[in-house]
Amino acid sequence: MALPFNLDAMQKPEELGESFRQSKREFWVMVGIWTFFAIWTVSYNGFFADGGSESDPEILFGMPRWVVIGVVVPWILAVSATIWFAMAFMKDTPLGDEEETE
Amino acid sequence: MTALISFGIYMVAVFALAIFANRAGKSKAFVSEYFLGSKSIGLWAFAFTYAATSASGGSFMGFPSLIYTHGWVLAWWIAGYMVVPIIALGLLAKRMNQVGRIAGAITIPELLRRRFESRSVGNLATIFVVFFMFFYLMAQFKAGAQIMATLLDGVPIYETAVAGVERVTAGIPWVGAADGDYLLCLLVFAVSVIAYTTFGGFRAVVWTDVMQGIVMGLGVVVMLVLALAQVGGLGKATRELAEMTPPQSVIVVVSIAETSGEEIRLSRGDWIETAGERGVVRLKSSTLIPAGDQKSEPVEALKLTTPAEIDRVLSGPDAPSKFTAMMIGEPERYAYGDGQKGVYLTAPGPSQKDSGGFLGVMLALSFFAFWTFSGAGQPSYMVRQMAFRDTVTLRRSIVMVAVYFTLIYFPLVIIFTCARVLLPGMEVHPDRVMPEMAALLTSNAGMPWLAGLLIAAPFAAVMSSVDSFLLLVSSGIVRDVYQESINPKATEKQVRRLSYFVTVVVGLLGLLAVMHPPQFLQHLIVFASAGLGACFLMPMIFTLYWPRTTSRGVIGGMLAGGLTVLILYLIGFLITKEFGEYLLLGLHPFIWAVLFSGIAIVGGSLSQAPVSEALRLRYFGSDYEKTKR
Repeated sequence: MALPFNLDAMQKPEELGESFRQSKREFWVMVGIWTFFAIWTVSYNGFFADGGSESDPEILFGMPRWVVIGVVVPWILAVSATIWFAMAFMKDTPLGDEEETE
Repeated sequence: MTALISFGIYMVAVFALAIFANRAGKSKAFVSEYFLGSKSIGLWAFAFTYAATSASGGSFMGFPSLIYTHGWVLAWWIAGYMVVPIIALGLLAKRMNQVGRIAGAITIPELLRRRFESRSVGNLATIFVVFFMFFYLMAQFKAGAQIMATLLDGVPIYETAVAGVERVTAGIPWVGAADGDYLLCLLVFAVSVIAYTTFGGFRAVVWTDVMQGIVMGLGVVVMLVLALAQVGGLGKATRELAEMTPPQSVIVVVSIAETSGEEIRLSRGDWIETAGERGVVRLKSSTLIPAGDQKSEPVEALKLTTPAEIDRVLSGPDAPSKFTAMMIGEPERYAYGDGQKGVYLTAPGPSQKDSGGFLGVMLALSFFAFWTFSGAGQPSYMVRQMAFRDTVTLRRSIVMVAVYFTLIYFPLVIIFTCARVLLPGMEVHPDRVMPEMAALLTSNAGMPWLAGLLIAAPFAAVMSSVDSFLLLVSSGIVRDVYQESINPKATEKQVRRLSYFVTVVVGLLGLLAVMHPPQFLQHLIVFASAGLGACFLMPMIFTLYWPRTTSRGVIGGMLAGGLTVLILYLIGFLITKEFGEYLLLGLHPFIWAVLFSGIAIVGGSLSQAPVSEALRLRYFGSDYEKTKR
């Protein structure tokens, strides 16, 4: 039975185009980046954003502390990871010529 | 009036761009040019058209109203945007563009149809695009009309025009029942967008998106600076928020000390001092004190509960005078957060109806996934991913959009937490908090002309979304229905005329549908986004990355995704009698839809013979690259 993404339907992996294989590598790196930041923000904020009945939460840089550590810091790191991915990891690939559509 | 002039200059610029775009595209093949800008969109245009289309009326109208109503927890709600650029632009774009070029496709349904050589796949995709996109169009039309109404409020010529429109439409069924000011603004907004989209096509949409994206970015930066300066710094705003408690809904009778010979009209939004205690209420709807009488009929109002807010209103320019409000019965309190200080600083945030608060952990996880993956699954973004010139453009655009979104979305949270301090009582009309805040900030700063440009920012967001959706729906009808099924040999002249005609008709239908606007703008936008993402995200991922995918799998995936969203919204409606989703196990319908869609694609594909080897090699094999070099 064929499993998703193992591509055994192709029978011969060498038939796969290099650009496709590179796109697939990039796909999984992106999913990894998303997972890392999803776990960070949801788990940290899940534990520390809930102030209950506390009327005086700690304020850092003018914001509640949980916003700084659970949203602002990962946001800055996520943008850095995005820049690394786009400028260093992602490869340029020929996209092919446009076919005449009319 | 000065605000109106600067806003007018902006509108003239939009139309000028449409005219230039129309001229620029004259020498190109019509369909590819009109619907996809001849697949030659460069860096700035691609990055801004993506960002501007993404930042819709929801971002600039619905999102601010949520920040205002629920406080800092919205920073968590929107946190998924930190990874939206990499996922929404990176996940599919390169393969989408490549496969789109191999297939020679202009639209998403066409790409799917050619990839699987199946007309059924294309037809189903067209049906889902047109269906969900129409809800999106409705929401954007409403947002555009609301912004315009705020900008024009109090301008004499506008008030005269409103009275004229009310007179003319009084006897017309359906249309006549709409408010005159809303109707006028809706007409002007819709006709403007329909006109420049029809005239300029995709290239005009992209060029105006660039300008609108710049206007949005500048608008947010200016508002951020003004808001922080006027509130006395972010720390001060957050500390004031920490002392706030949610308002209460009350029924009041408004009275006046002495009778008047004339009828007295009290408008929605008027502030009235409460009788017997130091406090204020804000009317949720208009009411009358009849001539010779001292009391109004009972009317709904919002009662502030935070002493600092009450002081601000009583000492402000809108301070109530001569009237007093007597409360009847018990106030309706927030289901979560009532009387609780600090609730605007923490999760889950105050909620009027949900006793669990606004944002639980499971819902936060849902939204983190929703913003990123539903963004990737929107056909309006997908179609842009078929239009960029080369991968260098794509890589640089991802970086630009990442920086741009950071400069837009998080500052919006800061601006509208400041709005809670500067503008008390906006819960009576939360969707108008953005334009009201723009007007307040610029008026306080002595620069009323700037209000026009600041209001142009959300207006730009709405326009840049409407034009894209309009084009997407009309391309679905012209390309995927007419050219594919009705008249495959249509001449360019016929296709050109039909494209113009369909763009106008779709726009007018959207206009008619929102004569009586749905109440919940943001709900409508989330529903349409979830529906489109559910229908297209998983089918497109599998189409691009799994060679074993078949037409049956994709059809199953689209049906499973779309129907899951529809069913969970229907259950939500049946339970609450309001338009909203049912959160099965606390998760948003989009999450379930994506899950079921993925299962259906794998199951459907494995139950059908693989696509032909020639087709697989065409889209996944190395021979394509060899033949193209």
